[in-house]
Amino acid sequence: MISGGGGRSSSSSWAPTTSVSASGKRIQREMVELNNDPPPHCSAGPKGDNLYHWIATIIGTPYQGGIFFLDIIFPTDYPFMPPQVVFKTRIYHCNVEPNGRVSMGILKDGWSPALTITKVLLAVRSILTNPDPYNAAVPGIAHLYLGDRAKHDDIAAEWTVRFAK
Amino acid sequence: MVESGEQMQSPVIRKKTALMESNRQNMASLISPRFKSAAAMAGWDEEALLLAALIVEDTPDRDSKQKKRLVLNSKSPLSNSSRKRRSLRNPQPIVLDLDEEETPKKDSGKKKREKKNGEESKVGEKELSKKGSDVNSNSSALPCMDKLREELSCAICLEICFEPSTTPCGHSFCKKCLKSAADKCGKKCPKCRQLISNGRSCTVNTVLWNTIQLLFPQEIEARKVAASTINNRQAAQNTIPETTFYTNPRNRSLQPYPSRGLNSRRNEAATTQDEEDAALARRLQREIDRENNNRRTSTLSSIVRARSRRGVSNQDEDAAFALRLQRNEFMQAFRSSSQEPSSSSSTLLAGPNLRAMATRAMNLRNRDRRV
Repeated sequence: MISGGGGRSSSSSWAPTTSVSASGKRIQREMVELNNDPPPHCSAGPKGDNLYHWIATIIGTPYQGGIFFLDIIFPTDYPFMPPQVVFKTRIYHCNVEPNGRVSMGILKDGWSPALTITKVLLAVRSILTNPDPYNAAVPGIAHLYLGDRAKHDDIAAEWTVRFAK
Repeated sequence: MVESGEQMQSPVIRKKTALMESNRQNMASLISPRFKSAAAMAGWDEEALLLAALIVEDTPDRDSKQKKRLVLNSKSPLSNSSRKRRSLRNPQPIVLDLDEEETPKKDSGKKKREKKNGEESKVGEKELSKKGSDVNSNSSALPCMDKLREELSCAICLEICFEPSTTPCGHSFCKKCLKSAADKCGKKCPKCRQLISNGRSCTVNTVLWNTIQLLFPQEIEARKVAASTINNRQAAQNTIPETTFYTNPRNRSLQPYPSRGLNSRRNEAATTQDEEDAALARRLQREIDRENNNRRTSTLSSIVRARSRRGVSNQDEDAAFALRLQRNEFMQAFRSSSQEPSSSSSTLLAGPNLRAMATRAMNLRNRDRRV
């Protein structure tokens, strides 16, 4: 692991750290579990050959009818570091940064190695139903959500029709 | 004069052919029809078959080598079938991989032994396979097995807990996983986020560990072997491609270090990867990455090794360390002994080599017979 061998380490530059196989194993296990018992309204799987780069979909309310695509990028020391979850579909939500990054406690300091992608997806889905305006990434949306829920939902639905159909 | 010369020669020739004939018959009885058909499929003609059988007879150290290897791999004796199963599941040390290239030889050896033991071994094998399937069906027959598996698996690696350690809040994880979690994510329980005491002092929950070992003997054994043979996946991932890469004559000029140095470096890496020093190793890795291909790595790793050795305080940890060192020594010895064939072990060369060895064996044998 440490010596590596000159020829090889250069050939696999994308996953050079110590826990490649441990994290890979764990991601593989999660993949199997996700296939056996997928969470409701969610799906996820590797994008291509790279086990560390997944794509996921969520169908959510009050964004009915919309299909939201997410990118999930696992760090190489994965279960010990949180994955990065990014909305690829534009969404009107106070906890989603303009660039799509999901801003959630469990994806930052609140991460625990006992969490899995299934749980992360469920959490993302739950913030779609119940946004957390007090820890908002986009204060304007949070403000509207607190002040005029109906208008907020209208805009959200409009965005869904526009981007997530 | 000529006639008499022929007459003088002919008895010798006759004797020779008679010898060959008897050899042939011997071999024919030695080789089972199943092996013959397998050999035919592999494109071996009868001559090659006979020669292979001869080689097998003339290599007595084969068995002892295999026994040694078994000792090396595990404490408990292994059956043939379980070895196969294991080799399917686990990365094997290179020693075995080198052997895999000579499978025809090995096969014939197996067949020969089988023949020797006659029916017994066949019956034994059958029983073994039956036992194996029994175990399998057992594990699936228990209705709560899946739930047990779920309950006893570590939330961090999602596998069955290996040397489970229980937190003060009552959650159990692999000792290794819990240590890494404490190192990298802070001293909180991964499940309930309660503060846990120093991750370094965590101990194995013996009752739970024994229970797990009783419930999932196969998996635990496999993981033990995987952990002990190389003690890291480096050897599984790196060394095998490396050896094949560098033993290829075309690539030999690319070899950055003499193979001897590579081996020792690998060994050092293996010893460095002490369980409780995952963090140290990580730091080292970073440093090494920074100065890639620098010779200073070996001194660095030795420093870290010394540090990690000082860190080891427990007595049985010491013992484990010693055992690991011993294993590494074994591995190296085997590797260096198998270095010679490995240097020419491209599959292309295997056939001619085999034939050459066979003719040599045949000559030796004939000489012995004549004397």
